[in-house]
Amino acid sequence: MNTLDFSILAQSWPYLWSGLLFSLSLTAAAFVIGMVLGTGLALVQHFEIPVVAQIVRGYVAVIRSIPLILVLFWFFFLVPIVLGHLSGNGRPIPIGATWTAFITFGLFEAAYYSEIIRVGLRAVNKGQFEACQALALSTYDTYRHIVLPQVLRVASPIILSQTIILFQDTSLVYVLSLTDLLGAASKLAQLNGRLVEMYLVVAVTYLAISSAASQCVAALRKRYAVATSR
Amino acid sequence: MPQETVSDAAAAPSIVIVENVMKRFGAFTALNDVNLAVGKGEKIVVCGPSGSGKSTLIRCINHIEKHDGGRIIVDGVELSHRLADINSVRCEVGMVFQSFNLFPHLTVAENCMLAPMKVRGISQVEARDRALGLLRKVRIHDQADKYPAQLSGGQQQRVAIARALCMQPKIMLFDEPTSALDPEMVKEVLDTMVELAREGMTMVCVTHEMGFAREVADRVVFMDRGCIIEQADPETFFRAPRTERAKGFLSQIIH
Repeated sequence: MNTLDFSILAQSWPYLWSGLLFSLSLTAAAFVIGMVLGTGLALVQHFEIPVVAQIVRGYVAVIRSIPLILVLFWFFFLVPIVLGHLSGNGRPIPIGATWTAFITFGLFEAAYYSEIIRVGLRAVNKGQFEACQALALSTYDTYRHIVLPQVLRVASPIILSQTIILFQDTSLVYVLSLTDLLGAASKLAQLNGRLVEMYLVVAVTYLAISSAASQCVAALRKRYAVATSR
Repeated sequence: MPQETVSDAAAAPSIVIVENVMKRFGAFTALNDVNLAVGKGEKIVVCGPSGSGKSTLIRCINHIEKHDGGRIIVDGVELSHRLADINSVRCEVGMVFQSFNLFPHLTVAENCMLAPMKVRGISQVEARDRALGLLRKVRIHDQADKYPAQLSGGQQQRVAIARALCMQPKIMLFDEPTSALDPEMVKEVLDTMVELAREGMTMVCVTHEMGFAREVADRVVFMDRGCIIEQADPETFFRAPRTERAKGFLSQIIH
């Protein structure tokens, strides 16, 4: 292995591509689940709904203080056992590695997104709520059309940053024996003995996707700065 | 506390009745047994030193502040704690704020269209027609598809007036509408308000614009420390205020 030899890419790219597709689809699914659930969790806390708000606060605190890899393990091994007990016959009901990954990432990201949105909700000017009241808008319309769109706009750079981290974290699915981009590259590297080339290709791919997303963050920040200046 | 001077316009049936209203913020009494009746079509200017309760009074009329005691009846509906009553009152009462409070993520036209569509249930086409008509009235229709941040303060406040009018309210409340404006923009907003007054809108305005008060007010209400101290037609009030506190206040604002 004296010189770099990228010819191995010619035959291995379909496998890498399928790995990348898995990484991207896991990111997309976790983003959607995380945002929908996270918005719900943030609103529950924002409205101070008794008991539920405390439970949500506890959930967010716990999730945010343990590593994702641990949550993946727990979910993979414990949830089948719990489901088995609930179903009555006591035998574990396996939910499969792929489902585990999608559900766990969604639930995990929800905790992070909910914190971002909760802080955003507090930042909305009191006058916006008063204007909605004066116009007799219902609470639903107030949040649906006035408050949440502004929160998402203000928080969009932070949400996107969190999503870039999420994309990079998808490589942790190797613990479930799932093959994402990094997993695919790693297997090929072992197989062909071309570790440097494979890991370089993967690094460049992560770099390209993440920095493109970071450019979007910068553009959003700029656009938001223009929109609020008077 | 007996009602003081009642002007000619107030002889018409009252559209807003404020009776023995109390409002406290913690230990601070913002409104102390306030009584006020506003006749249909009447224009009232509320003035007084800062902290006198004038903003709190008009914010109670559309229940943005909840009064602690007494009764408020707007267009025959008493403001209780029932949401249906509160919303039916808010539909009839438009409000313009000191800080405009336009929705920054919506265009000027969308700002005006949202509530009529969601609350009054009119179609998008009708809402846009109505919005453009009222934006024309406040002379800002050529900016309909811009965002609020692209407009000057005076233009934004005129949009806020149009937005309130789109709900076709019977009463308009103005909470220091010109206080946050640069001096050269005050006139364009006051002109709009004068025009509205000429068309017979019932108006309650908290303002220190005494020129406006002289021009359109049927009655000036002077408040201090949570009470209505004096009320009279503007000519009488400005020329011959009866109380020492009103005299002191006027000497401070008219140089």
